[in-house]
Amino acid sequence: MSAFIDARNVPSGTVLEPDLAIIGGGPVGISLALSLANTPLHVALLESGGMTFDSKTQALYEGARVGAPYLTLEASRLRYLGGSSNHWGGWCRPMDAIDFEERSWLPYSGWPITKKDIDKYFARAHALCEGGTLLYDRAGKYASEMGPAIALGDGGVTTRWFQFSKMRGSMLPTHFGDRYADDLKRIPRLQVYLHANATRLGLNAGGKNIDEIDVATLTGRKFKVKPKAVVLATGAVEAARLMLASNDVVTAGVGNEHDLVGRFFADHPIPRDTATLVIFDGKLSPYYTEQQTFRGAILRAGLFPSEAFRRANAVMGSSITIENRVDLDDLASAAVATTAAAIGVDAGDAIAFSLGCGMEVTPDPERRFTLDTDKDALGMPKLKLHMRIADSDFAHFRQTLKELGRQLLESRAGMLRLNLKTREDWLDGLDWGNHHMGTTRMHADPRKGVVNANLLVHSVANLYVAGTGVYPTYGAANPTINLIALVLRLADHLKGGLR
Amino acid sequence: MKDVFTRRNILIGAGGVAAVAGAVVGGRYVFRKRYAPSPYDDLLAKLNDRDAAAQLGESVLADSDDFDAKAVADDVRARLQNKTLVQATAVDAGEGRVMEAGGWILPETLALLCALAAKAAS
Repeated sequence: MSAFIDARNVPSGTVLEPDLAIIGGGPVGISLALSLANTPLHVALLESGGMTFDSKTQALYEGARVGAPYLTLEASRLRYLGGSSNHWGGWCRPMDAIDFEERSWLPYSGWPITKKDIDKYFARAHALCEGGTLLYDRAGKYASEMGPAIALGDGGVTTRWFQFSKMRGSMLPTHFGDRYADDLKRIPRLQVYLHANATRLGLNAGGKNIDEIDVATLTGRKFKVKPKAVVLATGAVEAARLMLASNDVVTAGVGNEHDLVGRFFADHPIPRDTATLVIFDGKLSPYYTEQQTFRGAILRAGLFPSEAFRRANAVMGSSITIENRVDLDDLASAAVATTAAAIGVDAGDAIAFSLGCGMEVTPDPERRFTLDTDKDALGMPKLKLHMRIADSDFAHFRQTLKELGRQLLESRAGMLRLNLKTREDWLDGLDWGNHHMGTTRMHADPRKGVVNANLLVHSVANLYVAGTGVYPTYGAANPTINLIALVLRLADHLKGGLR
Repeated sequence: MKDVFTRRNILIGAGGVAAVAGAVVGGRYVFRKRYAPSPYDDLLAKLNDRDAAAQLGESVLADSDDFDAKAVADDVRARLQNKTLVQATAVDAGEGRVMEAGGWILPETLALLCALAAKAAS
């Protein structure tokens, strides 16, 4: 078992020559390193942080924002081993087939791979996330012991299931750094460098190959890594930053010949209290509002638009969660009593809940990062986020909620009030999923994407990007587990290509 | 032991029952909320609580620039010609005919009835 290497002790001027350099020690970098454990590849994993949070290292994430309200750039991420898995919520759910498809009504849609291409990696990704028994939508069969699913009329919204990364004692969902540190140390041909910040991707003179990576520590050490191949696993924001800032050979930045790097940034908006759900008979199964442990898994039900509904109505993906109980005011009580009488049900025991959600946004090339003039402590340019969110994204989700309301009336199980109408309503208190996506999008055509189906940068023969930055569209599923499945697929590709 | 079921007692008892029943029925009539007559009272009679419906209906009217009460009443009357309100709302929900009233998703027939209630109250 070999210890991790503190890059602050690596002499300046050192040159490392691994087969593969992985930049970033979050869930992606760790999963990739673990997957390559039994190969002859010599791998160097460069992690900017250490084993715990450090404010000076975290400050390297700082940047500027303009446009629509959004989180500060250093808020959503954690810059130490394990990366953002150190504060994730553990929510897991596979993306749907439609998420990968080109849709005529959705500009910029269409992945160069299908859901089937990553499905075979999903069970292993699920195991790495310590998700327990693989159930997801099969959970409904077993959950009926705890109570029935909400009766909904035929239509576009159905009950489906989230599964959660396991909680062990007081430890929240799997923190990849803590959880897999010993496993990483046992890999004979892997060297993990902590406090090692990649500051430049050095292209060769022809601009077609990464020859070297500049690495710096906050204590002033500088050394180089000269790998055969590089996997950029820093997350969607830092990947774009490093590629844009590495502009000494190609002035637009690495892989940015078509001005795509940094564009199409996305996250999942999470508006609060989007709707009020009334259940007429006052009975709601507990798995809708709280995680439940059964059959060796931790699960919670949500309400999701079906693929058929999304296609037929040209709406984006979303997930609806049932949150806290709420009281009904006089007008709401009048609405419930009037409606219940009109549809012929007794609402004497009615209860109401606030609904939460996660929304998919439409791809937008102008929602983007650019390099700022300010520099960080390592001399790298900071980023500026140009944030936008379209009214149509809110409208899509509202349409899905309206369908849920219709289905409740059809089944005579309940009714729904839409609580947000104007743009101001939606933006007031808007939260985000902290799911950075889209800045290095995947497409078969180099003019439309930064990386190809194998996550290889189109214009660079040995640079891969592994992260949700490669998502050309985003779905509404929580990205971590889907991303890890994609990374395991990359690992198989690398095993074949780098031997 | 005296017989309580005398002719006199039975007549007194029956009279008492009749007086109470009359008071109840009469009281309901006397204290029932009165509404000004409207051209769609036949429709509004189908509502459980006309005031509550009118509250909801205000929102429907607010979102409708050209609400033609007569045309709406004719439409609703036609919908309810051979159906109960329960049946009509079930058809609405099944066929995707829903409307918003103050954010509430309502079967269209009910929402229009609510709007008529609001119109009648204005």
